[in-house]
Amino acid sequence: MIDPEILIRKGMPRGYFKDIFVRLALGSVTYLILIIALLLFARIIIDGAPAIFSTKFPFVDIEFLTAKNETLHVFDDAEGTRHQLPASKYNEYLDAHPGATIYNEKTFSYSGGGIAGPIAGTALLTLGAIILALFFGVSAAIYLAEYAKQSPFIHAVRLAILNLAGIPSIVFGLFGFSVFVLAVPVITNTPSDRSLLVIPLLINDFALSFQGWNSSLMAGCATLACMILPVIITASEESLRAVPQGFRDASLAMGATRWQTIRKCVLPYSMPGILTSSLLAITRVAGETAPIMFTAAVAAKDDFPWEGLSNPFDILSSQVQALPYHIYTLAARIPNSEFTQRAQYGSVLVFLILVAVLSFGSMLLRAKLRAKLKW
Amino acid sequence: MASEKSSNAKTGHKFQRSGFSYEQLIRFFFASNAGLSIVILTLIIAFLLKEGLGFFPGYRRDLETYRIAGLEFVDISRNNLTAHEQLTSLLNRAYYAEVNGKSSRELKRTEEASALYNAFTDQVGPTRDLILNNPQAETDGNAGMKAALLNNYEKQREKALQKPLSTPHLTNEERQQLIESLRARPPEATDDPPLVAALAQEFVAAQQKHAAPLQEFRTVIDDFESAGFDLGSIVMEMTESVTVTKEQLQTADILEKDRKTLLAAASGEKDPVERERLLADAHAALADKPDVETPMQALLERKPECVRLHEELKTASSAAFDKIPQSLTESDAKRILSAARKAWPVFITDLDMAPGKINAWKHTDPVPLSDAFMSFLTGKKWVTGGEWQDFYGILPLAIGSLMIAMIALSIAIPVSISAAIYVNHFAKPREQALVKPIIEFIQAIPSVVLGFVGILVFGTILREISVMDAFQWVPGFPIEERLNIFTAGCLLALMSIPTIFSLAEDALNNVPSAYAEASEALGASHVQTAFRVMIPASFSGILAAILLGFGRVIGETMVVLLVAGNRIKIPDFSEGLGAFFQPSHTLTGIIAQELGEVPLGSVHYRALFVVGIVLFAVVLGINATAHHFVNRAKK
Repeated sequence: MIDPEILIRKGMPRGYFKDIFVRLALGSVTYLILIIALLLFARIIIDGAPAIFSTKFPFVDIEFLTAKNETLHVFDDAEGTRHQLPASKYNEYLDAHPGATIYNEKTFSYSGGGIAGPIAGTALLTLGAIILALFFGVSAAIYLAEYAKQSPFIHAVRLAILNLAGIPSIVFGLFGFSVFVLAVPVITNTPSDRSLLVIPLLINDFALSFQGWNSSLMAGCATLACMILPVIITASEESLRAVPQGFRDASLAMGATRWQTIRKCVLPYSMPGILTSSLLAITRVAGETAPIMFTAAVAAKDDFPWEGLSNPFDILSSQVQALPYHIYTLAARIPNSEFTQRAQYGSVLVFLILVAVLSFGSMLLRAKLRAKLKW
Repeated sequence: MASEKSSNAKTGHKFQRSGFSYEQLIRFFFASNAGLSIVILTLIIAFLLKEGLGFFPGYRRDLETYRIAGLEFVDISRNNLTAHEQLTSLLNRAYYAEVNGKSSRELKRTEEASALYNAFTDQVGPTRDLILNNPQAETDGNAGMKAALLNNYEKQREKALQKPLSTPHLTNEERQQLIESLRARPPEATDDPPLVAALAQEFVAAQQKHAAPLQEFRTVIDDFESAGFDLGSIVMEMTESVTVTKEQLQTADILEKDRKTLLAAASGEKDPVERERLLADAHAALADKPDVETPMQALLERKPECVRLHEELKTASSAAFDKIPQSLTESDAKRILSAARKAWPVFITDLDMAPGKINAWKHTDPVPLSDAFMSFLTGKKWVTGGEWQDFYGILPLAIGSLMIAMIALSIAIPVSISAAIYVNHFAKPREQALVKPIIEFIQAIPSVVLGFVGILVFGTILREISVMDAFQWVPGFPIEERLNIFTAGCLLALMSIPTIFSLAEDALNNVPSAYAEASEALGASHVQTAFRVMIPASFSGILAAILLGFGRVIGETMVVLLVAGNRIKIPDFSEGLGAFFQPSHTLTGIIAQELGEVPLGSVHYRALFVVGIVLFAVVLGINATAHHFVNRAKK
């Protein structure tokens, strides 16, 4: 009889060091990614912190977050003291010191004041796009999850969703420009020359003119909504399917109609999931630049979107500033210098904090949801 | 859809018997929302095609004008002339690389000294200007102000001299001397400090010394350069005459278009008087056909002269090729010279073929639509808004996009797949909980922020690394532009890592656990299980992850627009791998950059939509292949 001790190999198995080595290599690559990502954030935080944080209470530079965006004027007065003033304060200074000569004046576009305009624009764009996308996306998901059976139509819908999800954002920009800016119908009494088709409505000269919404808030919202529609549909369908079949069966057995079942027994339980995943969609919408470049965004605007409107609906047809487009303008269109750094790093840091809060919020909510909803 | 509706209708309530109910309305509402995604996709395709397809006829007409006006004829000589200029500049660069390489010590010394001096003047410049150009301080009453200014200037000066730039090639004494001379420098001084001037002279002397043995090479270059003068002057003369013809043709085209609009308006007009008026307008707008024959005959008469000049240039070039040195001593000079020597035979063949081309060229040859098509797909030039001729060739953009994607993927694939294997197979649950959210968060970073980081941080770091002596063996270093293909590729790698990582990790997760358990039960180690069982089993999924990452990289806009350098030119592959350190433009970037500036409906505007169509088709193809692999993995 063989001693069982002999069968058990003693010491380290063959290839032990190779195992350790491979494991270490893979691990170090993984942590390398993390380190690079953390270095990147650290750099932005270190450079951006002076712009938006201050040492005095309330520790945040409120002015940077709430002031309008302006041109920055940098100049020396006769005593050689350097001033950095946004355009409005610069004019005040000139009024207060009549006859004062100034030297070495330089101006930096978009770098003075704060970033309230871009923040407001991004908030409006995101809000509009999310409302549109949630309405149409959740409705579509309800059909796919609750009503649809295998059919060529459903197959086509799924194929379209899959393809939409892969289209590059700049192609959505082209689409939004050619459709929402130049071709969608509006009701007007003065059709434009480039209108594709004019259908007279026979009331007071009014006509349905396919001339587009021009570059406007609503064109931007519609473009962004088209872009995230597939994300919302997929996420909502998943949340709807996560509701146990028993809920529906029980409800239907009690004599409820399909719609009553959906409204009372499916939607309430899937709503948290839908909203959580739409938070992720918000981060994506807020960060996109390419689709709004030609459809909604404008580099400089003196007023907030809601100022100077004759009626509240005009806000939809006005152009807005947007935070990602603002960052693009600051990074690409103006020369980099010590005076523009506050605007540049400050905007980026604010934007990054916004995105981080949204995406960590959605991660936490998701984790909480998983713990809570167990059937 | 219709069959579904009827199958759901039940007998019972009278509404339902009539086949129309509240429930069905709701159902129809949801179905139509589901159909919305099909509508959007169709609209995207329809409008891209609507705006894009008009490009080809328009571009064909452009190319026709190009031929009829004789621009094409001039371009035969012109291209050779440009090649000649490029060769000359290559030779000159080789020459100066040799001379400067030999006197590199002097060059570095003078560069360092003047860099230090320039940094100093930049810092004190504004305060100095205040002192010199301040009329208020000149008046007597303002003595206090002048003193304040001087005081200010001195403070600035001390600040500037606290941390002067490093000067490794200067001796300590020289450095001290330079700093002292700057400190003692009066604000109104304009001449260079003595050391800077001395070092510049030293450098010039060294250049002269090292140029002496290269005298022969210099003469060859100069002779070669002057050999192109005759061709240059005739090209200039011809250019003037054909530009005039081209403008006439374009004006006639515009008038013709106006006339057609008027005629269309006239046929739609109901009021006879108004119609008569529009018709009369249209008749008046009937343009005189511009006379293209006379200038064309004048141009064609120059054919023999062009041929003669080409032959002369060819003889001169062949002679020069024999005389240029086989090799030089400095590595940079060697590389440039070998590039020139490689390009030379191509140049000679081109010159050889030119007379044939010139004689065969006819302005009456028709321009078929396929020419416009091929010129778009295989054109090496994307030139717009120029005075000469616009070309819309997609190659420089496509090559730029592909090279950036190559860099991005060759970094992202190994890194993200190693990370996926590690996280899926080796990491403890706690590590997983740390790594996954952070990588997911990288995905949430907006691309414009990454582009910003690329411009202000990464590009600068890369350039600093590239001038370090320790890295000079890398091809392409030191880089000329901090924004280039490599910078963009690295940032896109960071962007695509989360995509590839999470999809590959999913694919590994989907491998049945029985596989891994069976493998370990047979005595395989952890590493063996990972590489011999898990990866082969999830191979389709990993491939799909890579393809989807590729699709994302090709379609990314903001990073490449900000970071790729935006130079519309096919990178110079004669530099080998150094081509990856050149700036470039991309398919996505060109749309984002130019769409805002072009007039609606112009050929250029339509060209951008055709680029959009190409992008759309490519990305759709990549995604379709990826989903094919995903479906195969599921089965």
